[in-house]
Amino acid sequence: MDFVQNIPFFSIILSMFSGIVSSVLSGKNAKRLNTFVVFFVGVMSFVLFLYLMQKGESYIYRMGHFPAPWGNEIRAGVLEAFMAFFFCVIMLCSLIGGRKHLIKEIEENKVNLYYILVNLLLSSLLALIYTNDLFTAYVFVEINTISACGLIMIRQTGRTIEAATRYMIMSLLGSGLLLIGICLLYDLTGHLLMSYIQMEIAIIVEQGMYTVPIILAIAFISIGLAIKSALYPFHSWLPDAYGYSTVSSSAILSSLVSKGYIFLLIKIFYRIIGFAIIRDSKIIHILFAFGICGMIMGSLGAIKENDIRRMIAFSSVAQIGYIYIGIGLGTKLAMTAGIFHIFSHAASKALLFISAVGITDASNESKKFADLTGAGYRNMIAGVGFTIGSLSMVGVPLFSGFISKFMFAQSSLQVPGKMLPALIVLGISTILNTIYFMKTVIRIYTPAKESTYEKIRFFTNLSYSVSIICFGIVNVTLGLWSQPIVEMIQTGLDMLA
Amino acid sequence: MSKNILILFSIVFPIISGFVLLCYPKVKDRKKIQIYMLGVFGITGGFVSNIITGRAMTYTLYEFMESIPIYFKIDNMGRLFASLVTIAFILSGLYSFGYMEHERNEKRYFGFYLIVYGVFLGLIFSGNIVTLYIFYELLTLTSFFLVIYAQTREAVMAAMKYMFYSLCGAYMALFGIYFLYQYGTTLEFTPGGVLDPSLLQGKEEFFLFIAFFMLIGFSVKAGMFPMHGWLSSAHPVAPAPASGILSGIIVKAGVFAIIRIVFEIFGADFLKGSWVQQVWMTLSLITIFMGSMLAYKESIVKKRFAYSTVSQISYILFGLSLLEPKGFVGALFHTCVHIFVKTGLFLAIGGMIFKTGNIKVEHLDGIGKKMPFTLWCYTLLSLSLIGIPPAGGFLSKWFLAIGSLESGISVFSWIGPIILVVSALLTAGYVLPITMNGFFPKADWTYKRDELRKVMVIPILILTVLAIGIGMFPNRLVTYIGNIAEQLL
Repeated sequence: MDFVQNIPFFSIILSMFSGIVSSVLSGKNAKRLNTFVVFFVGVMSFVLFLYLMQKGESYIYRMGHFPAPWGNEIRAGVLEAFMAFFFCVIMLCSLIGGRKHLIKEIEENKVNLYYILVNLLLSSLLALIYTNDLFTAYVFVEINTISACGLIMIRQTGRTIEAATRYMIMSLLGSGLLLIGICLLYDLTGHLLMSYIQMEIAIIVEQGMYTVPIILAIAFISIGLAIKSALYPFHSWLPDAYGYSTVSSSAILSSLVSKGYIFLLIKIFYRIIGFAIIRDSKIIHILFAFGICGMIMGSLGAIKENDIRRMIAFSSVAQIGYIYIGIGLGTKLAMTAGIFHIFSHAASKALLFISAVGITDASNESKKFADLTGAGYRNMIAGVGFTIGSLSMVGVPLFSGFISKFMFAQSSLQVPGKMLPALIVLGISTILNTIYFMKTVIRIYTPAKESTYEKIRFFTNLSYSVSIICFGIVNVTLGLWSQPIVEMIQTGLDMLA
Repeated sequence: MSKNILILFSIVFPIISGFVLLCYPKVKDRKKIQIYMLGVFGITGGFVSNIITGRAMTYTLYEFMESIPIYFKIDNMGRLFASLVTIAFILSGLYSFGYMEHERNEKRYFGFYLIVYGVFLGLIFSGNIVTLYIFYELLTLTSFFLVIYAQTREAVMAAMKYMFYSLCGAYMALFGIYFLYQYGTTLEFTPGGVLDPSLLQGKEEFFLFIAFFMLIGFSVKAGMFPMHGWLSSAHPVAPAPASGILSGIIVKAGVFAIIRIVFEIFGADFLKGSWVQQVWMTLSLITIFMGSMLAYKESIVKKRFAYSTVSQISYILFGLSLLEPKGFVGALFHTCVHIFVKTGLFLAIGGMIFKTGNIKVEHLDGIGKKMPFTLWCYTLLSLSLIGIPPAGGFLSKWFLAIGSLESGISVFSWIGPIILVVSALLTAGYVLPITMNGFFPKADWTYKRDELRKVMVIPILILTVLAIGIGMFPNRLVTYIGNIAEQLL
């Protein structure tokens, strides 16, 4: 066994223990430790990614003493490693971008608590990405929920507490459904390790037994994770949770947390049930239909919104819908598109949240549209960042959103029954996206009559500017050099199956 | 290094120089900007002339998506458009030196001007439909800043409208590209079309629909009825040289894209005789008539000429929709004429507005006493627009009418020429009053000569000479366009 293969385990443990250590550190040191950990995990994941690309196959890593059918396992393939790397990049940029703002948003003695939560969140995300057994997955889903709740609630205003409570209730409902699904699977197969469940399921399905329980299990798991990742119509918790929490939290929650659950769902589909069975089970039709509704309803919600942060949050509902139609179309190309959209949405949505905060800062902290007039001139870098993010969301070529839309459209052409709804809704949703994002961009670049606001210069908040530049680069890179990433996703998917 | 990389240079150089100008803080000295602009124009013009006089070449930048490269190609049509566009951009650029002196933020204007120029060259040199699409979108996004330049409420709303129309149109086209990717042999522009007949079997009707969709999508930029709404609001709010570019050049992006998809993606034979052709002809004829009518009724000068553009571009679209060589020659010939005439007209009336501050037709009485030279140029350009021989407009209408009669498409073959004649009369009706009242004002008052500066007059003069000259010595151009028509049809 190569030494590099320890990386997944090491990343999870490192981020978890750094969370524990942070509890006795001062806020400043906790911040330093956290930056270091995220950075270090990112580097390690990239090394692992390179190693796996070279090796060309995934591997399974045993945790603890018990051998295969019982113990815990971690499994790493190209896709997992890349995702871990990408998540670290986004998380790092989001944290750096919101750092100055954090001082204003939370009480000073709670800063180290914030970083504990971030570390826990990272470790649970990594665990969701790497895990090869369902029980571990469930445990970390819970850890993820709790830390996400904390991240929402740490900024203590009435709205956030309400939002966190709502998030908690919905999320626990989702976890509950997931747990029931897992129990059913355990009952049917007697295993918790993914590879073994898959073997058993294949046998059961071949014999034609237990069709209803299997369908039920798939349904519970899908709906549970759909609730947690805010698929329409289970999205009601999302706008408040993303709209009122701290900047970095919104960026991280919207771009990473929901994506972690989606990736777990994809993994369950591929690794546990087997994609052929999923395709026959018609569950994907339901996900497809929800996705389609989400694309339209999310955008409509965003158009009606008069608060820039909540508008961006609503747009997430639409984008999650895109990812789910990628899953729902049920071809490999569509799944590739969905996963690409996970990356592209993470890059643009975090950018939007971070730059929106710069814009509101330049407008006396008001989030109302009328007050944002001309903010693009007062805070240049935020204006540019917001424009890039919007163009990417709208799907203008050169930015990442275009590639994912193109791939969705292409893949929908291969599925006769779903081609027309997918294409039509893609068109409508693009136009709706254009309406609300361009409206905002125009608004922030319309000159204001009186400038009572203070100007924010590039160097007054250097870390903020740097993070926006990084996000911009990630976005354009995904948009211009998508080919290698798409190929990597395809190899990764082959490894998953 | 191979010579092919010149293509990339000619596109990227103006774009980068534009960005440099935008980012370079605090250039107070107007002279410096002008020298910089001259330098950029000179170098880009050098690149372009080198490319268009050279042999046919291709350049692949890199693989953008699976089997879709960003790919540039020089062919005859590209050469024609590139030279026209370069002439128009350089001349209105020179004019802007004088015009922009009373505006703020001229640095921003010139920066985006250069970027639009580079992007337009990219559009023209695109070798496949995806590259074309990308530059088409970029053109919308960058020319947006020329429209919004004045930053008044009116300008912002007009720019919004422009962007919304254009983006929606582009997405309609994109919708078609998805299918072409699936059912075409290649996405590269190939004379005669790229559709794969074996894959197409039994789906012809559906593909006609797709072709229609793409056609409508791209004709948004060309201002075809019923998607012409943005033109009359976007063109008047921009500064005069930018209106000239918008009206003379940017709308041609739609025409150019339509030529590419109709003749080099779907193929003329595929559309000939189909309902798509008939709808297309009907719409373009309606637009010709309606545009002229609207222009005739409009009293704000710049709006009047924006409507005139709506009408004139549809002459071109009508010529293309005939799908036969004479009509094609007429269409491309009219493209050349219209680029010179409309850019020149906007520069001329921009000059009048610049000097007098009046934006309404009736306030321009007596302008010929004040600025005789500009009004003379205006008059000659108008004659070309109406189509009085020997000016350029005559020949293009001649070819269009002949093409229409020869096409033998039942009703359209004779209704086309009638509408052309009616529209020509209307054109005379809306351009000539300015001349007449300009030279012969009704009331007496004392006139003081107040001509534009040389740097503004000379570009107008050159455009006038080109617009008339093209009609007097058309042979080489007609042969050249004839060759293109032969390749494509």
